[in-house]
Amino acid sequence: MIAARRIARRFGAQVALEPTSLEVWDGEVLALIGPNGAGKSTLLALLAGALEPSEGVIERRSGVRVGWAPQRPAHYGRLSARQNLVLFARLEGESDPNGAAERLASGHGLPDDDRPSSTLSVGNRQRLNLAITMLGDPHVLLLDEPTASLDPLQRRKLWESASQLRDARGAVVLATQNVEDLEHVADRVAVLLDGRLLFDGPFEEYQRSEAAAIFA
Amino acid sequence: MRAYLLLRKDLLVLRRSPALVAILVLYPVMIAVLIGLMATYANAKPRVGLVDEDHLPPTIVVAGKRFHVDRTIEEVSRNVDLVHLSPEEADRQLDDGRLVAVIDIPPGFLVTLKGLLHSPHLILRTGQGGITPRVEQQMQALVYNLNLRLQRAFTAADRGYVRLLVEGGRGTVLGRDFDVLGLDGTQRLLDKLPPGPQVNRIRDFVHDARIALGLAQQAVDATAHPIQLEVPPERGRSWALSAQVQAYALALTITFLSLMLAAGAIASERDENVIGRLARGLVSLGQLVWAKIGLAAVVAVLLGSAVALIFAVAIQAGNVTGGEPWQRLPLLVVGLAMAGAAVGAIGALIGGLAREARTASLVAILLVLPVVFLGLVPREIVPPAGWLSDLFPFVHAVRFFAAALFDVSPWRTLVYEAAWLIGIGAVFGFLARLGARRLLA
Repeated sequence: MIAARRIARRFGAQVALEPTSLEVWDGEVLALIGPNGAGKSTLLALLAGALEPSEGVIERRSGVRVGWAPQRPAHYGRLSARQNLVLFARLEGESDPNGAAERLASGHGLPDDDRPSSTLSVGNRQRLNLAITMLGDPHVLLLDEPTASLDPLQRRKLWESASQLRDARGAVVLATQNVEDLEHVADRVAVLLDGRLLFDGPFEEYQRSEAAAIFA
Repeated sequence: MRAYLLLRKDLLVLRRSPALVAILVLYPVMIAVLIGLMATYANAKPRVGLVDEDHLPPTIVVAGKRFHVDRTIEEVSRNVDLVHLSPEEADRQLDDGRLVAVIDIPPGFLVTLKGLLHSPHLILRTGQGGITPRVEQQMQALVYNLNLRLQRAFTAADRGYVRLLVEGGRGTVLGRDFDVLGLDGTQRLLDKLPPGPQVNRIRDFVHDARIALGLAQQAVDATAHPIQLEVPPERGRSWALSAQVQAYALALTITFLSLMLAAGAIASERDENVIGRLARGLVSLGQLVWAKIGLAAVVAVLLGSAVALIFAVAIQAGNVTGGEPWQRLPLLVVGLAMAGAAVGAIGALIGGLAREARTASLVAILLVLPVVFLGLVPREIVPPAGWLSDLFPFVHAVRFFAAALFDVSPWRTLVYEAAWLIGIGAVFGFLARLGARRLLA
């Protein structure tokens, strides 16, 4: 669905990602793992189109819709959760923005009041972040540390959503440092270290690899 | 459409931030008032030293008229703060800039004045600086006023002499008393003499002299005041409601508001971490810049119109001469939109380059005051300031607003200044689009 061809990203003199090739297939959940600063977030942002690569290209199958949840929640703090959802639903071209906002707000257990979203708890802000990502019925979800601040119930809901999307021939790429995420949903694992791709293969193969020992 | 959605979002954010809006409105209004007060009253009473080396007494008598020295100086020096100083202290304060000028009353001044044969001299020494010419003018006005008072005394004395010549009696000239027969007394003597050719000639002379001296009394007044300045009761607008002040207040308010808003709004897209979401296909950087320029224009129209309405209400309530040009307000709205957009384009550039709202706001504040002050410097006096000011929307907005509201034939100015505003907006808008790429870095 999405293919990165030797993409690299530099921020000034700092290299965030060495030239890297990676493909995301229909019906899979790909886990990106690696320590802090390995380049996971940069790779996800590049796949999402939120960053432009310094070199290389991103190829996306025609008509594929992508949802991206950055690690730090991305929404307008002065607006309420509902107002954020309606705004992004409109930007995503939803035919019924209010209906979509209502559905996702209740589905993610978001408070239905007028409070600025900046005053929500960390967990609720992350739920809102994920809810916005689901707008526009994406075929591919790119999730950056999505379960880091979720409670167990919401975490399970997220795994269910990821599994459902996989079953519907969609794809999920999640950057994580949470072993539980791998065990519950990952079909494939890509390991990054210092901006370089060390390993890319099925979860079972990863478990037997040296990379698994590194991050155990 | 997507730019419109972002613009609507920004307006909603503003509506949910009343404290921010209040500060953004009140701050430029306060600055406008302070600048107005400064322009009106700063240096209104420059400090001038008075060195009395002649040791003038509290009262002096000149041409038979008594003058209270301190009271007279106080009355004629309303525009300066006149301080009595010793010569040394006056020199010191003039050198270190605490005085803008010193007036010396040299020794022998009073004797010369009382002598009525020569004009005594006052000596004005000034420092160097922007208000020196103004102080010189004020000192000339002070001497003019002193002369005027003395002239009145001299004129009164001259009239007394003429009256003495006509009516006769006892008089004093240069301290000496004497009796004068006068034309009336001469006439009475002539009436007692037997008629004859010589008596008749003297009688004719007395008649002619009486007419001539009657005219001389008026001539004394006329030569003392060849031209008199008449000041009729006040007419026209008060300074606070003048066209220029309204134009400056409007331009200052929207320059501050639009610059701060556009800069802060575009940078906050990155602060809120939303820029990545938008940039991945939802909203292009061009649409983002347009949205912020639109925000600046909309807010400029809303708040500029509110400020204009406040002026209008004050003008109507005060029954000010000329009234409020209501039919011109639509023109003003057009100008507000263009000026707001042009300033917004600069704000969007600042926000894009600064990348975070706090830095963007700081840079906007740092930029807005020099831009405004450049626009206040008279271009006739400092041409480079005028050229530099032309590169920013403030001065064009001022001219547009003043012409839109008050010029009898505004179209030429409006088209010219509108072209400037559009040009400036286009250039800075293009640069803002380029600068917005930094938001993704």
